[in-house]
Amino acid sequence: MIKLTGVTKKFGDFTALDGVDLMIPKGTSFGLLGSNGAGKSTILRLLSGIYSQDGGSVKIDDEEVFDNTSIKERVFFINDETVQFGSFTLKGLRDYYKGFYPNFSDELFEELRNTVNLPMDKKIDRFSKGMKRQAIVITGLACRTDYLLLDEAFDGLDPTMRIIVKRMLVDAMLDRQLTTVISSHNLKEINEVCDSVALLHQGKMLFNRDIDSVKGSIHKVQAAFKEEYTKEDFEKYGILHYSRSQSIHYLIMKGSEEEIREKLSEKGPIVLDLIPLSLEEIFIYEMEGMGYDAGQLD
Amino acid sequence: MFDIDLQSRTPIYEQLYKRVVELTVKKQLRPGDKLPSVRELAKALGVNPNTVSKAFQNLERDGMIYSLPGRGSFISDKNGDVIKQNAAEQFTLAAKEAAAAGLTAEEMTEIIRKITETGGNKID
Repeated sequence: MIKLTGVTKKFGDFTALDGVDLMIPKGTSFGLLGSNGAGKSTILRLLSGIYSQDGGSVKIDDEEVFDNTSIKERVFFINDETVQFGSFTLKGLRDYYKGFYPNFSDELFEELRNTVNLPMDKKIDRFSKGMKRQAIVITGLACRTDYLLLDEAFDGLDPTMRIIVKRMLVDAMLDRQLTTVISSHNLKEINEVCDSVALLHQGKMLFNRDIDSVKGSIHKVQAAFKEEYTKEDFEKYGILHYSRSQSIHYLIMKGSEEEIREKLSEKGPIVLDLIPLSLEEIFIYEMEGMGYDAGQLD
Repeated sequence: MFDIDLQSRTPIYEQLYKRVVELTVKKQLRPGDKLPSVRELAKALGVNPNTVSKAFQNLERDGMIYSLPGRGSFISDKNGDVIKQNAAEQFTLAAKEAAAAGLTAEEMTEIIRKITETGGNKID
């Protein structure tokens, strides 16, 4: 289990994380969303023990992560910077990580390498960008850690590699309760892979929820009524957005379909259509609701 | 067979649940039929295995399927209530649309009468 309590991290004057609380149960997959500079990578770096926090605690299985070798050998962090081993060959990269991660599997490494067809004895700085990513992803998976951190790792993979990684994650989650933390700009990917999702903005966590409870929690409503109503008549329902085109009222409302139908029934609607918002739309309206400009969200 | 829409606004576990009910109603799944394992389904669909487990747990809770430890999950023969409830929900939706389009209760009743008279209550 991953547990962050009141975590603060500063770089000079810049506050990268400002009192972040986070709990990720074992065997689940967690998605971190947010614009650049929101603090996603900082969280992953704290979890991999690269940074130490300035305040609060960062714990994995009840132990502080920083400077803790027995925890660090159970965590693998896949990010672009991991591929700074340009002068290494893939064989060299494998041996380097194999020396550090006791659970490393040569068998799994070979199996994965064959699916992506990477050469063992060519220097990594002569690999294409995509090949570099593949190299670090297969190495990371072969380390068979209990925790896998993926910093925008899915975003740079081609569709074939994506499905390979996803299938690997399914096995690892079922066989050894792998916990993954994935940062992404891609809501679609998060939706398919993650159990829960958090949205970060300027070092603060805006929300953190079960992905299925997010979906269907806000609806777009199109309604027409016999009587004349204005925006003010709907405000008591806690609307997030209102617009009108002739006799049709467009509302964005929180709540399940049943709850919303129940609320609006007192106004005697002639037309009442509800569409649940997509995850992406929900985030945008939630951000607006908290006074953030949606334009700041990627 | 278990195709789902990953882009949909409906949660993935809910889509899987509905798909199993739908396949059972259409007799493509029959009592005693074995479902794919959580692992197989999660891999085939490229989704989180916890999501598939959640769908299976809900199906089992509602009596649609039953699980035998170490053997897998099977379609139950005692799932009549869930199937009827599902049918009632779909029927209600269709009736609401019909009402919105201007069909009267009498006109709708007439359609129902015709269907039941001609034995259309059987699904072919």
